[in-house]
Amino acid sequence: MDAPFIRIKGLTKHYQMGGQVVRALDGVDLDIEAHTFTVVMGPSGSGKSTLLYLLGGLDRATSGEILVDGQRLDQMDENALALFRRRTMGFVFQSFNLIPSMTALENVSFPMQFAGMNATQRGKQAGGLLEQVGLGNRADHRPTELSGGQQQRVAIARALVNNPSLILADEPTGNLDTSSGAAIMQLLSDLHRSGRTVLVVTHDPRMIRFATHKIYLLDGRVVSEAEYQSAALETARDIQGE
Amino acid sequence: MKFFDLLRLIFGNLSRRKARVALTAIGVVIGTSAVVILVSLAIGLQRNANEQLYGIGDLSQIQVSSAMGGSGGVFMEGGGRPGSAPGQSADQPPLLTNDALDQLRGIPGVEAVIPQEYFYSGMTMKFQRLEGGASLRGVDTLDLAVLGMEAMQGSTELKRGGVVIGAKISSNFWDPRLRPGQEPPPPPDLYNQQLQIVAMKWDSEGNEIRKNLSLRVTGVLEETGNDTDWTVFMPLSEVKSLNEWASGVKINYNKDGYNQVIVKVVDPREALDIANQINEMGFQAFTPQSFVEGINSFYLVLQFIFGGVGAIALLVAAIGIANTMAMSILERTREIGLMKAVGATNRDVLAIFLGEAAGIGFIGGLGGVVIGWLAGQGINVLAIVYLANQASQQGGIPPSVAVYTPLWLPLFALVFSTFIGMLSGLYPALRAATMIPVLALKYE
Repeated sequence: MDAPFIRIKGLTKHYQMGGQVVRALDGVDLDIEAHTFTVVMGPSGSGKSTLLYLLGGLDRATSGEILVDGQRLDQMDENALALFRRRTMGFVFQSFNLIPSMTALENVSFPMQFAGMNATQRGKQAGGLLEQVGLGNRADHRPTELSGGQQQRVAIARALVNNPSLILADEPTGNLDTSSGAAIMQLLSDLHRSGRTVLVVTHDPRMIRFATHKIYLLDGRVVSEAEYQSAALETARDIQGE
Repeated sequence: MKFFDLLRLIFGNLSRRKARVALTAIGVVIGTSAVVILVSLAIGLQRNANEQLYGIGDLSQIQVSSAMGGSGGVFMEGGGRPGSAPGQSADQPPLLTNDALDQLRGIPGVEAVIPQEYFYSGMTMKFQRLEGGASLRGVDTLDLAVLGMEAMQGSTELKRGGVVIGAKISSNFWDPRLRPGQEPPPPPDLYNQQLQIVAMKWDSEGNEIRKNLSLRVTGVLEETGNDTDWTVFMPLSEVKSLNEWASGVKINYNKDGYNQVIVKVVDPREALDIANQINEMGFQAFTPQSFVEGINSFYLVLQFIFGGVGAIALLVAAIGIANTMAMSILERTREIGLMKAVGATNRDVLAIFLGEAAGIGFIGGLGGVVIGWLAGQGINVLAIVYLANQASQQGGIPPSVAVYTPLWLPLFALVFSTFIGMLSGLYPALRAATMIPVLALKYE
């Protein structure tokens, strides 16, 4: 029996905040198969971003196991995690996180420097990826000269440079208007169809239609769709009742 | 990460913040140029001093005397000197007897051991109407060439009834009957002339007793710049008999030892070692080399002090670099988070920020070396004109350099300022490298 691409067991993440313990994740068990498009839904504070960062090896869990592509992230040291991120993962952030002084092309090729790839190869690959996200004619523009949607497309191109098998996106449409948001979701969906595993964290319900799998988070726990909907209704009633 | 990519990234990052990098680097420029100028000045002073020291004497000669002081007891009438008793006791310093001279000859690296003796009592010289002063030295050798002397006229050989004189002797003659306002006579050419030497002593009542010698000048030495220029050389036996006449006491070199011997070494670099060995034998050895080394070590200390003053300026600059890097890392926290997200290891991040700090140090060091070198050249031009003026007024040797920058100094200063930059970037860079990626990414 093969293990799934991602397996999470008993995952918890606690913070100290103002003397109180915040349970961002409170015992999460999950299996995510390879080549799926998974959307993690939840209101803010539900722990969905925390889950994404733990999966990406950008943060350390308080307890529990994280298995990605057959490797235990919770048992890796800093260096191994960095190499794992470099080879296996591509990140897309809500605020794009492009380096303002670099052109689109330089931003895309930036991660390849750490992989020790030579300059001509980097330029070629980055140019190809910008073409792929429809920005071949914007390669020499700096982020400030690009629209939000274009910046996010540069960021997606950057996430793809090391040919990762897993794409992790944190509210990728959060800073975008509806039409550019839809274009970004379409792009992520294309990546899924080309064989990659995509995991998107969002609280935007319109993203559901692209998903092959849905995960609902409430207060640091995975809940069923029915529980999630009733909780959402309750919240709506509370607001109306006030 | 490849080294060339790292360099490009570092200098790309630095050029993003030109004004801040320039302001921080100015501190390093000041510190480095101070180090270069001040150390160059110390080295220049040392070179100057060494040039002036050329007249200090032959560095291959060691002057050895008995630790008792002068030999012969010539000033102690009645020969009451303690060392004169045969079979000296252990606590008395050894004498420069012929046996002792043989011991000195046995030291490896010694070329010759030559006893010498000065005439102790008063003397003047007379040549025609002129009178002159000099010191009279007896040397136990047939040829002064053994002591490295060269003849300007005649030969360096010492003969009975003859003298070899130093180069400045003739210029030391004056006319005692010269009236005020009269032109002083030109220095006489003494070569092959009869020189009158008048030795003087005084009896117990203070009456002057004179003794006249007439000697032929068989050689005039080349100018050396040291005391040989002012010396009249004679065979040792003649000075010995003059001293015996002056003191009225017979001198027995075998019993009383020689007054002074010159030890000539094969290699001047061994002079100090051999002098130390001679000192260990209980004699007093003096070599100009020890003097020169003393002066050199003084200038080495001066270099360190001057370098230290510059280093303080560099220290202040280093704090500036640390501050700039700490600020920069705060501003770029999200960038650091991103680098880590896309697969930069802690070592990559450390290398980038250490490299930026070192880069500021390098840029500042480069500016400092150029400015320091230019300033040194400027000082040189001004100072040489001034010092040459001074020297011509005082009859000294004009200096060839005031500030001297050896090639190693700018290279060292550049490496040092880069290293200082890297060192001051260590703490901020370590903080950057160990940031937790998710916190760095969420930093506002």
